[in-house]
Amino acid sequence: MKCMHTKLPDFLAKMQAAAKRIRPETKITIKGLENIDTAKVASLRCGRIEEEIYEVTQDPDITEVELRIVPFNPEVIYSSIAKGYDASGKCKIAILDDLAADIPTVEYYLTDAEVIDDRRSAGHKQTQL
Amino acid sequence: MKLKYRVIPKGAADGAMPLDWVFIDEKDIKKAALTNFEAVKVIANEYKDSYAAVDIVDLDAVSVTSDGIMNPIAVTAIASVDHGMVNKTYGYMPISEIPEYEGIFEDEPHMRQWHLDQFKGKPLHRGPNAKDRGTERAGHNENMTLTGRIANNNCGSEAFNMVEMTEALVFMSAANELMRDGEVTVCVAGPEVSVGIGMVVSERWGRIFGGANLGGYKAGMSAHNSGEYAKTVKSDYPAFAAPKEKFMKLMLDALDTGLIVGRHLGPSPALISTAHAYGTPIDIDHISDRAWIELESVGISKEEMSKPVAKPYTREEMIAHAEEIIPGMKNAKRYKVSDVVDIKEVEVDPKTIA
Repeated sequence: MKCMHTKLPDFLAKMQAAAKRIRPETKITIKGLENIDTAKVASLRCGRIEEEIYEVTQDPDITEVELRIVPFNPEVIYSSIAKGYDASGKCKIAILDDLAADIPTVEYYLTDAEVIDDRRSAGHKQTQL
Repeated sequence: MKLKYRVIPKGAADGAMPLDWVFIDEKDIKKAALTNFEAVKVIANEYKDSYAAVDIVDLDAVSVTSDGIMNPIAVTAIASVDHGMVNKTYGYMPISEIPEYEGIFEDEPHMRQWHLDQFKGKPLHRGPNAKDRGTERAGHNENMTLTGRIANNNCGSEAFNMVEMTEALVFMSAANELMRDGEVTVCVAGPEVSVGIGMVVSERWGRIFGGANLGGYKAGMSAHNSGEYAKTVKSDYPAFAAPKEKFMKLMLDALDTGLIVGRHLGPSPALISTAHAYGTPIDIDHISDRAWIELESVGISKEEMSKPVAKPYTREEMIAHAEEIIPGMKNAKRYKVSDVVDIKEVEVDPKTIA
């Protein structure tokens, strides 16, 4: 049985390919998922974003694409896991704690955009004046 | 129609202020025939190339400091604006009136200050209710707004720039001075303030803790619960406060009603030192060991606080000696509000609020 979600490495590869579909020399940087080792990504959203990158590159002036992934809820609670290993590689202890981080919201990344086209779910759209 | 507002601009107070912080009197919003959220959109439009924290205040309402002292001002909405934008979900938050509920004076003894002549009958605003917080804020979300790089936290008393990593504190007593053309003192918050802001009282819909149920941190506990680290939390950030003799009066009013520090009021360095010098009781044993570690770390010892002073100061002496009695914010510079605040008026463009 095949999982109905996209593997994270596949998601990253699809975004790379989407940016280069029209002009292979188009550069793309993907920021915001660097620390995630493994995840399943919602397939339909993956497809939508893939198409949006392709759409961005329709303009022949576009030479570079940046895909920025930011948490929707900007007050993020992470769980920290401090693990201690001995020389044989055995994990002898793991101590859990909370780590809160306040992260700039999407608006921080929009201040230089000439056009903003918000296609998120209705409840998630920002107020733009 | 014009909207009047005040701003502590970045660079104010001899460069101490790291970001723009806007304050709007609700009366001026009503004069401009706007809602509070529309007023925020007007301010956002003023910041098309910059960013600011926004507090909307009611000068005819009351609120409560984190350690339980009632103040003659309330923040009724907060916002964060960045380059003309307000994040729809997290960028704005109203703070509704809290009606007097049955049992409030038993559950929240510090609220007896509401009976004082200067506060009686005035609407209370502290923290948001569930509707104010909206459907997307989760349990871990603080009473904070965020848009872009600007966060406005704890119902409008601390604001951050999350990119430049700068922050400022404006205490409620300072906001009161700012809105009434008084005076403020400004300096690095320092260890005593850092410890003090963690010494909270338990409230429903508090500015920092508590919802429909009472907040879990009771008077006598430290919400920071961080031992010797607590004194470092705000040690590098500028704080705007009222001159000490001004908030000394508010603390004395609270103590004169019979409220006890450590039992009914948070044992912040300011309050415990005031109670000690004034000769009013301190519930030494009700103050938790963890809270004592934090107090001792800023030189307030359990042993010293357990010994009554030989000759307590009178009210007049307390006010006269406020500077030496209230610890912290040493060498703060005093400013007339007109020297740190710009008063502005903006013509409201109907397109802005459409």
